[in-house]
Amino acid sequence: MTGERLMVVEDEAHLAEVIADNLKLEGWAVDVIANGEQALNAIRDCPPDLVLLDVMLPGMDGFTVCETLRAEQCHVPILFLTAKSGRDDRVHGLQLGGDDYLGKPFDLEELILRVRAILRRGEWYRAPSSAGNALVLGEVSIDFSTFMVTRTDDSVELSQKETMILRCLAEQAGAVVSRAEIVKHVWGYDAFPTLRTIDNFIVRLRRLIEPDPRNPRYIHTVRGTGYRLTP
Amino acid sequence: MSVRPSISEQVSKRPLRLYVVIVAFYGLLLAWWIYFFASLDDRLAERMRLAGAPLGESQRQALEKAGEETMRMLMFEGGFLGLLVLVSVFFVMRSVERETTLARRQRNFVSAVTHELRSPLASARLYLDSILMGRTDEAKTGRYLKHAREDLDRLGDMVEDILLTRRMSDRKVEVETQVVDLAQQTESEMERLRTLHATHGITLELKTSGPTFAALDLIAFSQILDNLVSNAVKYGGESGPVELAVESASGRSVLTVRDHGPGLGGADPKMLVEPFVRGGDEQVRTSPGVGLGLYIVREFVQAHGGKLSLEDELSGGGTRVSVSFPAVSQQMRDGMGSEASA
Repeated sequence: MTGERLMVVEDEAHLAEVIADNLKLEGWAVDVIANGEQALNAIRDCPPDLVLLDVMLPGMDGFTVCETLRAEQCHVPILFLTAKSGRDDRVHGLQLGGDDYLGKPFDLEELILRVRAILRRGEWYRAPSSAGNALVLGEVSIDFSTFMVTRTDDSVELSQKETMILRCLAEQAGAVVSRAEIVKHVWGYDAFPTLRTIDNFIVRLRRLIEPDPRNPRYIHTVRGTGYRLTP
Repeated sequence: MSVRPSISEQVSKRPLRLYVVIVAFYGLLLAWWIYFFASLDDRLAERMRLAGAPLGESQRQALEKAGEETMRMLMFEGGFLGLLVLVSVFFVMRSVERETTLARRQRNFVSAVTHELRSPLASARLYLDSILMGRTDEAKTGRYLKHAREDLDRLGDMVEDILLTRRMSDRKVEVETQVVDLAQQTESEMERLRTLHATHGITLELKTSGPTFAALDLIAFSQILDNLVSNAVKYGGESGPVELAVESASGRSVLTVRDHGPGLGGADPKMLVEPFVRGGDEQVRTSPGVGLGLYIVREFVQAHGGKLSLEDELSGGGTRVSVSFPAVSQQMRDGMGSEASA
C-alpha cells in the first residue's frame, strides 16, 4: 500500500498539516495545495492517485474543481473532505463525480480507511480484468482501458463510473450481481446515497449498448435483486 | 445545523404570486366599472330611443350632468382605493425584499458558521487523535498540542462573537467610558496587535498627530481595534502595510484603518456592516470569518455615540475604515481617567 501519491487540497493550514502528516505516516507521498484553482492546474499537469478535496476554498470551490476535471475526462479519484456534510451536499458531491465524501469533523482512523478503500478500488480498476480488457456485445465493443464504446457507426466515451459498473457486471457475466455489490465495487461501502441511483447508470448504459434499450438483450434486470450481463 | 434558509424563500413566493393576481384582478375590475359608468348614459339614451321615447335635449343634458357627477365620485373613490392598493403593494414588496435579504443572510450565516466552527474542531480533533493513537514523537506532540490549543482558541473567539452578536441584537449595548487620549490608547495596543499578526508577516503602521481625546470603554475599544486590524490583515495584509491613523477632524476624534487589498469590490458598505454578511461568495472563500467583525464594531461605536464608515481608498487601492467618536469637552478632559458617561 505504499508509493501512491496523494494530494490534499485544503486552505486551513492546521487541518492540511495534520492530514498530510498522518497520510505520510501510512507511507503515501503527499502534496498540499491551499487554493482550488492551483489544485486544478496541478492535477491537470500530473494527476495524483487520489485527491482529498475541501469544498469551500479560495480561488475555486471544490465542487467546481471536481466538475471541471470530470468534464475534461480526468478520472482521478476524489474524496471530498468538507464542513458541508448535509445530505444534499453529499449527494451533490457524488453526482459531480466525487468518489467518496467525509464530513468535518471526522475520525482519523475512518479517514485512513476510506483513503485505503479508494486506492484499493483504483488498484482493482487498473488491474487486468478477469473479463479481459475489452467486452464485445454484438456490434458494440467496450474498451475498459480507454472507456470507449465503439458502435458500427460511431464511438462514445463512457464515464469512469459507467465503465466500472460494466466491468463489474462483465467479470461475473451470466450471474446476478446485486445493486449493493455494484455500489461496493464502484463507490465503496456507504458512500453512495441510494441504490436506486445505480438504475440511472444502467439506463444510460443500455442506451449506449443495447440495440433496443426497452427490450434489453445484454443487461437484464433481475427483479428485486440486481442485474445480469449476458454476452 | 439543520436550518434550511432556502425554504423561507420558497414559502414567501407563493403568497406573493397570489397577491399579484388579486391586485391585477382589482385593477381590471376598476377599469370595467369606469367603463360601465362612463357608457351608462349613452346606453340609457339608446334604450329610450329603441323603446320609442327618445330623450329631449334638456333631459339629455341632465342625464349627462348626473353621469359626470357619478364619474367624479367614481374617480375619487376608485383613485383613493387604487392609492391604498399601491401603498399596500409597496409595503408588501418591501417586506418580501427584507425577508429575502434575511434568508440570504441566514444562508451566509449557516455556510460561514458551518465552515468556521467545523474546521478548527476537525483539526483539533485530528491533532488529539494523532497523539492518542501514538502517531507522534515528543517534538510533534508538543507542536500538535500547541496547534490544537490555537484551534480551540479560534473556536472560543468565534463562539464569543456569536454570543456577543446575540446579546447586541437583544438589547442596547452599554459601555462604561472614560476619557482617554485615543492616539496614546491606540499606540499602547500596537505591540499586542503586532505580536498577534506577526505570523502573517504583516507590517502595522500608526500615524498620530498629537493628543486626540475621546470617551472610550477600553474593553470595547480593544475589540474595535482588533476587529478592524484583523479585517485589514485578512483582506489586504499581503498587498502592503496596514496603516492606522488617529486625528481630530471636524470636532471628532477619528481612528482610520487602511489596507492595500482589492477594496470593497463593489459590495455595499451598508450591507457589509450587517451581521453575517461578508463580501463575495461563501463557496469561494478567500478568508476565514463569519461576517460579524464589522457589525460588532458598528454596535460598539454607536454605543459610544460614534460613527463607522467604509469606503474604497481612491489613491493606491484598498479599503479605508474610519470610526469617529464625539469630541470631548475641556471639562471632561480635565477629569481624564475618571468615569464619564458617553
